[in-house]
Amino acid sequence: MLVLGIETSCDETSAALVTDGQTILSNVIATQLDLLRKYGGVVPEVAARRHTELIGYVIKQALDNAGKTLDDVEAVAVTARQGLIGCLLVGVAAAKSISYSRKLPLIGLHHIEGHIYANRLSNPGMPFPHACLTVSGGHTMLLYVADGNRYELLGTTLDDAAGEAFDKIAKFLGLDFPGGPVIDKLSKEGNATAYHFPRPMLRNKTYDFSFSGLKTSVINMFKDKVAAGKKLPLADIAASFQEAVVNVLVAKTLRAAETKGVSTVSVTGGVSANSRLRSAFEDACKTRGIDVYFPALSLCTDNAAMIAAAGHARLMRGEVSDLRLNVVPNSPLEG
Amino acid sequence: MVVLGIDTSGYTNAIGVVDGEKMLAGRSFDAKTDSLEQIVDNIDTVLKSAGLALQNIQGIGVGLGPGSWTGIRVGVTVGKMLAFSLGKPVGGVSTLETLAYRARNETSQICAVIHAGTGSNVYAAFYLPDDEGVVITGDYFYGDIRELLAKINESAVLVGQGTESYLQLYEGVLTSPVKAIEAAPDGAVVALLAGRRLEKGDSDDTLALTPLYLKESTARAFVNKYGASG
Repeated sequence: MLVLGIETSCDETSAALVTDGQTILSNVIATQLDLLRKYGGVVPEVAARRHTELIGYVIKQALDNAGKTLDDVEAVAVTARQGLIGCLLVGVAAAKSISYSRKLPLIGLHHIEGHIYANRLSNPGMPFPHACLTVSGGHTMLLYVADGNRYELLGTTLDDAAGEAFDKIAKFLGLDFPGGPVIDKLSKEGNATAYHFPRPMLRNKTYDFSFSGLKTSVINMFKDKVAAGKKLPLADIAASFQEAVVNVLVAKTLRAAETKGVSTVSVTGGVSANSRLRSAFEDACKTRGIDVYFPALSLCTDNAAMIAAAGHARLMRGEVSDLRLNVVPNSPLEG
Repeated sequence: MVVLGIDTSGYTNAIGVVDGEKMLAGRSFDAKTDSLEQIVDNIDTVLKSAGLALQNIQGIGVGLGPGSWTGIRVGVTVGKMLAFSLGKPVGGVSTLETLAYRARNETSQICAVIHAGTGSNVYAAFYLPDDEGVVITGDYFYGDIRELLAKINESAVLVGQGTESYLQLYEGVLTSPVKAIEAAPDGAVVALLAGRRLEKGDSDDTLALTPLYLKESTARAFVNKYGASG
């Protein structure tokens, strides 16, 4: 079963061909890094225009890279829920056109379900049930994944997503965009205990997160020292900030795993590429006898292969969308 | 040549199908925010009422706008991806030209106008009738309707949606006789004008088809004026 996946929910235009929800034949991702640098973030109208320019080329490239044509495609899966409305719409319009003209099943998906499946693509043997932390520039969610298609949302961020905090701190420190990889790299040269930043909601009994106050704390400290004429070691600030975020993410995820009685943890999303987050999870899980899984680095950030994989699973259960499929910018994760 | 026409740039969305100069079927639907939800159903309905299957289509015409940015992206993406998927040529047409075409039997100059979403700003262009239809006579206009109307210095027809209201509201700035013609985007006209080009082999690069926005996004305008971030 060859599925064409399409993902345009934020600032990556992506198309992929995946067989049987498991084997990636192609996964083309056109990033908008040039636009992100220019505007210092994602501007919805600018991103939507770029998706419209690129969508056809990206789909064609995915077919070409896989050595396939539309004649070979058996279903079309597309991100339809959670994201920027004008961006989602471009991918769904493209998916519908192909589905309608080729009489192929159409599967509209929630973006987060894609991230859950990204880890299954990299780790086919990852067992259920498990606790899943999915964390990126757009979301921070803690889920209990009962099996391949039943999820329970345990907690989410109340303000900024973790990746968003990385981006904003990087921007404030005058570092490059996107902030995640830059802070990760810079932190390796810094002392993570040089500054003690707050660990927001660490002791809160819920599984919710908050990163806005942490961000403000870093920015205020930085401003005070600069005002006092002190030069700050950026690497120490980056490492200390990163450590605060990592501490909270690891602690809450492991608490969720223990409360739910699962011995497997899945970490996905763009921030799951962070090397300190990975090592902290590995250390903490080892001492507790918990197995932790991460996607391949290429599947951490937004991509269409994960959408094709998630779409294949829904199709196998007979869950398809009709051609009236619409986009929903804010939607609970169903299932 | 059997051509399907799609225009989702305006307050009403329009689908039509023609065979050469002959209009076979067409329909409009209220767009609001669900162009995306309704577009395939409407294409299907139009084709069925013309007794056609999608596979009978030999080319696709797309109204490129200007108009609702989000709206146009639906039609442009559907138009080019249908063309790609069916392996048929695509031709983009300015929605202003399709409006002006509706006034082609007038003898005066034609000013096609489209409301630009908020306030009194409009997109517009001037055309003259010719043997086949209309020919654009200058650059596209984006700006205040009063500024546009003040530019009209000979008798003209103003064609588009809400033209009668424009003339009533801004009668004071007019220096020449201007007649209003109400016209909404029409899928069959899009198909007809695109079909004329496609029959001559003058198709657009399918995957490169993009909307005619005529206005940069606010963010881009800001960056162009004040410089990039950081």
